[in-house]
Amino acid sequence: MTTAGTGALLRFMLRRERRGLPWWVVGAGFLVFYQSLGSQSIYGTPERLARFRETIGGNAAMVAFSGPPQLLETIGGEVVFEIFAYLSVVVALMNMFLVGRHTRSDEETGRAELIRSAAVGRHAPLAAALALAGLANLLVALVVFVAAAGTGLPVGGSMLLGAATAAVGVAFAALTAVAVQVFENPRAVYGTVGIAIGTAFMLRAAGDAGDGTLSWLSPIGWGQRTFPYAGDRWWPLLLPLAAAALLVAVAVALLDRRDFGAGLLRTRPGRASASPALASPLALAWRLQRGSLIGWAAGLVLFGLALGSFGESVEQYITDNPEVANFFPGGAADIVNSYLALCVVFGALIAAAYGVAATLRARGEETSGRAEPVLATPTSRAGWLGSHLSVALAGSALVLAVGGFGVGLAYGLAVSDPGQIPRLTAIALAYIPAVWLVVSIAALAFGWVPRAAAAVAWVAVGYCAVVVLFADSFDLPDWFGKASPFAHTPEAPLESVTAVPLLAIAAVVVALLAGGFAGFRRRDIG
Amino acid sequence: MENAISVAGLHKSFGATRALDGLDLTVAQGEVHGFLGPNGSGKTTTIRVLLGLLRADAGTVRLLGGDPWGDAVALHRRLAYVPGDVTLWPGVTGGEVIDLMGRLRGGLNRQRRDQLLERFDLDPRKKARTYSKGNRQKVALVAGLASDAELLLLDEPTSGLDPLMESVFQQCVQELRTEGRTILLSSHILAEVEALCDRVSIIRLGRTVETGTLGDLRHLTRTSISVETTQPITGIDGLPGVHDVVLNRTHARFDVDTQHLDQVVRHLSGLGVRSLTSTPPTLEEMFLRHYGDEAGREAAA
Repeated sequence: MTTAGTGALLRFMLRRERRGLPWWVVGAGFLVFYQSLGSQSIYGTPERLARFRETIGGNAAMVAFSGPPQLLETIGGEVVFEIFAYLSVVVALMNMFLVGRHTRSDEETGRAELIRSAAVGRHAPLAAALALAGLANLLVALVVFVAAAGTGLPVGGSMLLGAATAAVGVAFAALTAVAVQVFENPRAVYGTVGIAIGTAFMLRAAGDAGDGTLSWLSPIGWGQRTFPYAGDRWWPLLLPLAAAALLVAVAVALLDRRDFGAGLLRTRPGRASASPALASPLALAWRLQRGSLIGWAAGLVLFGLALGSFGESVEQYITDNPEVANFFPGGAADIVNSYLALCVVFGALIAAAYGVAATLRARGEETSGRAEPVLATPTSRAGWLGSHLSVALAGSALVLAVGGFGVGLAYGLAVSDPGQIPRLTAIALAYIPAVWLVVSIAALAFGWVPRAAAAVAWVAVGYCAVVVLFADSFDLPDWFGKASPFAHTPEAPLESVTAVPLLAIAAVVVALLAGGFAGFRRRDIG
Repeated sequence: MENAISVAGLHKSFGATRALDGLDLTVAQGEVHGFLGPNGSGKTTTIRVLLGLLRADAGTVRLLGGDPWGDAVALHRRLAYVPGDVTLWPGVTGGEVIDLMGRLRGGLNRQRRDQLLERFDLDPRKKARTYSKGNRQKVALVAGLASDAELLLLDEPTSGLDPLMESVFQQCVQELRTEGRTILLSSHILAEVEALCDRVSIIRLGRTVETGTLGDLRHLTRTSISVETTQPITGIDGLPGVHDVVLNRTHARFDVDTQHLDQVVRHLSGLGVRSLTSTPPTLEEMFLRHYGDEAGREAAA
């Protein structure tokens, strides 16, 4: 191993991460904090927990999207049951981006070349990136421990929960270390590791819902099977650590066999001339954004299927756990429709997040300098921005629709009613004005305050999410939610959809979009 | 005939930074105009104003008879632009970028495109992420040179090209010049400017310090003289416009301001000239003199 310079590189990486990394760590802590408070208020007594255990133990869908029911022995275990799989996905993504960004992305952009030309060993960037991931995982372990123990859960189990979370992260950091040796393109790295994370989730879902065998093939399953607060066994953590050691050895061996900047798989040559369709700014925007749109849409179908599959059992679940009913807008009376309405609004929030990400691609094009040669052709500014916004608006409507389709398909299969598919798709589409309003805020910010556009747009998404998720359960004041377009969209199927509020939101959308275009027409590019 | 570009008193600030401070630039139709200046002197900012990407704070800017800010789209049909720092879409091939840019500009001469690809030895099937800096530059060059645009704005177009490609580029520009196209060539490579440009403008700190043909500019600067005479050389130091004299009895080397050359030669002829070489200033010397002076003055301040 030639690791000279690792320490200096690690310090430099920490500096580069000082703005991004804290959010991941805080986010992980928040998930545990929020789940712990929520679970303790809903299932805080042994009787309630026992009732929940009976309902859920036999509900394969609920188990598939949570964890092994053995965890439901204690309230702490219940928290782990509900949150650990999702916490693992977040931490795995954090590790994937940390390792990928500081190895493959740096090599692709040529930054690593400058570094490697100094007295820096061949293995140093990888070693430093893995050390960075290791430090980040330690931080996550600490924050998860504090969040769990700080909300009153037992200290021993909280330590194990923190350690298990970090161990899952370490395994995915090591997996990313292998992937960055194989692919030249960071997006291929993220795609592959992302699929691996999804597969790990699916394996443990199938295992937990079945006889548990498949869960032992998944790092997330290993973490869950430490059973924090419900037996506290540490030995399964040897599995992710051993896997990580093995993967790092593989990564180092591959690193020694490849050239700098190259992957083991070479990128294939592409088209020598553009397809006839690639002839307009819209075609370019579509070409640049189609991959991520397909990814978001596929994710939302799966999300919709997952949520929709609970639809039938939710009635029984609420009868057994009346406390939970408060979380649903329609209360216990109309519980299935209430649940479906909530599923759709979740999907709409994700569609809004997609729309913002797609709109901000325009800003990315501008700051990277790629917008400049396009705007130096007879492409008008309005035409260029309109192209990216068209993809954002149409794409977010598509994401919204396929989410509703997924909910409808899964619920329709459960209740043997194909009519649920068009019904829930249509319900989802009622959120188009609300989603577009968030997109148009991003567009307005892009036109007038380009440097702050990302912050403004994501704050708008975050605000809508807080209103939807917490307004009822946290007793936020009434006025707080009034500005959210989601609050003004009729909650179908609980309420009937009427045109007036939707048209009112649409009018605001048109005004904001027009404002965004006006701002972009009169400002400097770059 | 109207000038292709006429800029007068152009000002542009970014916050507290003054990028352009009363810049003047005139480019006649059909000429190749060199645009020289050190890094950060405002060349790229000027070109961005000409493209209507930046809005001028003050001054008049006319491009092909139109207003670059208000008539951007119409004017862009008639021009092609090659940026100095080329960033491309990582997953799109070079060939696709060239075709796209051509189509956005309203049509592409396929034959010329293929011919340019061959001359610049560029593989169009590679994804942009795998191109080197030089190859990214070639993509932008082929896209720009393949157009039928009447005006080309080239912002340091040969940075990153090897000498072989540099000469291909010079041939291409010569061909465009014979076709009567107008080219604004911002460059650091003085040999390139000397070889290609009819007129040059030198800018510094956002202001034009010199403009004219290379001949005009030479006239404003010094000529180096090396002379050997039969009689010992005397009285040279006292003549107006003579600098940096190195005297060795009958042999002298010195610089003379070009407008005083005549007087110096008359003086020397009285001393019996045996040999005399006179070297006109290179563009590089003029360039260094303009920036060198300023650097010295700034250091003193």
